[in-house]
Amino acid sequence: MTRWWASRWFIVPTLMLLVTLGWLVYVGRHDNGLIEGRIVDAAGQPVAGATVRIFDRGFVTYQERGRTRSDADGRFRITDNTSHSVQLEAETPALGRSKRMEVRLWFAAQDVRLTDPLRLPAKP
Amino acid sequence: MASRSKHATLLGLRHLTLMVIAFFMLVPFYWVIKTAITNENIYAYPPSLLPQNPHLFNFVDVWYLIPFPRYLLNSIIVSTIAVVGNVVFNAMAGYALTRQFAGRNLVLALFLSCMLIPFQATIIPAYLITAKLSLLNTYFGLALPMLSTIVCIFVFKAAFEAVPRSLIDAARLDGLSEWRIILRVLMPLSKPAIATNVILTFIWSWNNFLWPLLITRDPLMQTLPLGLARFLSYLEDTTGALYAFAVMVLAPSILVFLMAQKEFIRGLTSGATKG
Repeated sequence: MTRWWASRWFIVPTLMLLVTLGWLVYVGRHDNGLIEGRIVDAAGQPVAGATVRIFDRGFVTYQERGRTRSDADGRFRITDNTSHSVQLEAETPALGRSKRMEVRLWFAAQDVRLTDPLRLPAKP
Repeated sequence: MASRSKHATLLGLRHLTLMVIAFFMLVPFYWVIKTAITNENIYAYPPSLLPQNPHLFNFVDVWYLIPFPRYLLNSIIVSTIAVVGNVVFNAMAGYALTRQFAGRNLVLALFLSCMLIPFQATIIPAYLITAKLSLLNTYFGLALPMLSTIVCIFVFKAAFEAVPRSLIDAARLDGLSEWRIILRVLMPLSKPAIATNVILTFIWSWNNFLWPLLITRDPLMQTLPLGLARFLSYLEDTTGALYAFAVMVLAPSILVFLMAQKEFIRGLTSGATKG
């Protein structure tokens, strides 16, 4: 009797289907558009009240999509990211503007907590 | 003893030659994959042989920057229609050509001569027929010229001719109709021919560029090769994302080939020796 379930024509598509379903379930549970991070100054101290801007990737350019502010601990939270590739930038009138940080995600609106802080330059 | 040593040397030389040829054939694939997982420009000089800082985000960019899932779906639907049409119509035509009827040799000669005419030469009549059938900008219209291919008809013909005549006569004596003889007797004995049809049609349909370019009006009806051209025109550079797209277009046809290669090779060699 032919063991149809041992055929590569069954095993390969089934494995692909299972991996895809698993991936879709994972994506469905982690695509709330949350980006969390910290802002620090040149000495590594948290910066409160800094403006954080988020830029979405277009084909060849990045467009500003929204902004938020850091809290007393220098933490910020963006809740409505819809892109798979963004840039973040922090700014305060006193300390100036940070370099843009590129954040590339595995899928659109992936929830992510940044390990590296946005670092503002030393006071000019 | 000397003969055995000579044989081993020849075998080694043959393998060495094959390895060198395989190396040169695989280098372009390696280079495309290497570029796809880095941000290097393919024209960068001096080129790096190994990927520097490899990552997979170029594939994510391709998925989201253009409607890749839609193109993928279109290509899958069109290729499936073409594959099913080829297996059904070519099996019918192949079986008819194994039978004796008046003008059979003429039909065979006509088929062979039609193989000499390139598709570009018949594309305007094909377009007009598709338009008359109101199939422009539809999946069936996209698959229409691929629904039956002469090469694959001959593959089925060769496979059916390899089946003993007595088996078909016995089936007929048992009361099977011609349709059931094809379905129940010939097709199960012609799996290599079916695999050959599936692989060839899938790859031809999957990579088809000119016909979809002509008959699609709606960007959302475009297939992957058209999407690749569109992506290149938007991006206008030769870095990782473009090659990631090329890898994503190539991957399904390579997978289909790898899965059916054993039957494919058997089907082609069967056609070569008995056709």
